Amino acid sequence: MTQRKRSSNINLASMRKGFSVKPLALGIAAVMLSRCGEETEKATVYTSVDDCTNQNPGQEELCKTAYQDALDEAQRTGPKYASRQICEEEFGANQCNYTRTESGSFFMPFMAGYMLSNLLSPRGYNTQPMFTSYSPYSSYRHRWMGADGSDYGDYRRRNMNVSKKAFKSKPSVSKTMSRGGFGSSVRAKSSWGSSSRKSSGWGG
Amino acid sequence: MFRIPIQQRPNWQRKAADFGFKFHTMHGEPYWDETAYYQFTLNQIENDIEQPTADIHQMCLAVVERVVHDEALLARFQIPETFWLPIADSWKSRDPSLYSRLDFSYDGSGPAKLYENNADTPTSLYESGFWQWLWLEEQVNKGLVHKKADQFNSLQEKLVIRLGEIAHHYQLDFMHFACCKDTDEDRGTVQYLQDCAREAGIADYFVYMEDIGLSESAAFTDHDDQIIETLFKLYPWEFMQREDFAQHIQSSGTHWVEPLWKSVLSNKALMPMLWKMFPGHPNLLASYFEDELHLANETQLVKKPIFSREGANISIIENGKTVLEAQGPYGEEGFIYQAYSPLPKFGDNHTLIGSWLVDDQPAGISVREDTSLITQDMSRYLPHIIL
Repeated sequence: MTQRKRSSNINLASMRKGFSVKPLALGIAAVMLSRCGEETEKATVYTSVDDCTNQNPGQEELCKTAYQDALDEAQRTGPKYASRQICEEEFGANQCNYTRTESGSFFMPFMAGYMLSNLLSPRGYNTQPMFTSYSPYSSYRHRWMGADGSDYGDYRRRNMNVSKKAFKSKPSVSKTMSRGGFGSSVRAKSSWGSSSRKSSGWGG
Repeated sequence: MFRIPIQQRPNWQRKAADFGFKFHTMHGEPYWDETAYYQFTLNQIENDIEQPTADIHQMCLAVVERVVHDEALLARFQIPETFWLPIADSWKSRDPSLYSRLDFSYDGSGPAKLYENNADTPTSLYESGFWQWLWLEEQVNKGLVHKKADQFNSLQEKLVIRLGEIAHHYQLDFMHFACCKDTDEDRGTVQYLQDCAREAGIADYFVYMEDIGLSESAAFTDHDDQIIETLFKLYPWEFMQREDFAQHIQSSGTHWVEPLWKSVLSNKALMPMLWKMFPGHPNLLASYFEDELHLANETQLVKKPIFSREGANISIIENGKTVLEAQGPYGEEGFIYQAYSPLPKFGDNHTLIGSWLVDDQPAGISVREDTSLITQDMSRYLPHIIL
């Protein structure tokens, strides 16, 4: 038998974890760079509403709404940190902002741009926030980064091919009445003995 | 099967940081150990591990088929009565499973002996599917391992495909993933599955088990109040079935990965059941329920809690006397007894083989070493090759 018994190809780039310190919360990217063989469409990153309007004359209103949508999304799903120091280590000096959300208060990087596709499509446009880093310690330095940490390449590059499956459906939102109904067994078992390893998991 | 010392990659810790492998060292002790590797022949892998793994999985499914229809057995498996029907329903509707790990004692010859089935929350997945794969690529490129060397490890490829199938089965293009707080190892394992899901084109959301909420419509929600439609949970069913939200598990409408019927397999009561249904099978060790101990004629037995993790509360008994015992918080649900079949020794190390399945397909192995006879969570993980 000459058949290989191991995975034939693993995409190493997608296995890298860019963040030097993992944010407390991380969003998901609505638009992904296309993978090989996928149907693609063009997307452009704009750094401001003016930038968008200049390149899409007469579309100021759309550019503005898309910017605002991306900004809301940035607030909701962008990387969140407990301290300014950790945030700035990843994104650079003065690149982080204090923010309050329903789930607490955090430091978050400023939105550096927004990625727009299908601006004039009758189905509606797709927009998502983009971040970048100015920190010498970060692997995102001078690169476009999505809310989930996806790397979209050098920040001088503005046009990219994204997956046509662009707008993924998202979970619906509901009002939460109570929390904390799972996890009590772990608290009980963790208190067992001082030699038990706190950092060890509950898998096996 | 040999244990062969090898140079470590000089920069592997740095690389681990790049790839987010954070638990290679735990409590100052090495967990990932690349100072040596294990070498198997293709024959050993295919005939002694791969085929028995596929066979045992089918035998395990036969046990599920029997247990879900038998209330007395469900009680023996210590499954709370309120879950008997949901488990049977989940089995009848063939809710898709993702993965399992069978643990074997194997020394390179003779039949591998099954210790247990980690069918619900197996870990060491990232080290197996990705990290040891990368180790082989790099050691071959450096000329330290033979160019023709292979590895029994199609885990990542199969996980990506299987996650895609599960998403398709439930008609979803997003999935939630959960584990408990304060554990790098579990978080790393779940992150790996999130990475695999993304490769499959599935959007991934993470939530800690402790942060899961209940909505006004009785669905489970994440910390952003988003409804959890499908949840991969690296958290044992036997815990969930006994916690406050247990009563909402069925009514929430959540699709569970692993599915509820896996609670029958990730349960040490499986071992005496297998022995009853397939007595004398070469890959099985004689096993007994506590009240059937009089049937055992072995002088040495291993006593295992019905529910336990990472070797906790396991003891080795000789002529009725405990000779070795691992401490732990488990055992209140009772114990099973298994014929003693010690792990083989390579140097000073006791070596355990974990054999992976993705759904019902054998997908690779992991090798762990411990200086103790009972493999616990301080054991080390070593890579392997086929040559």
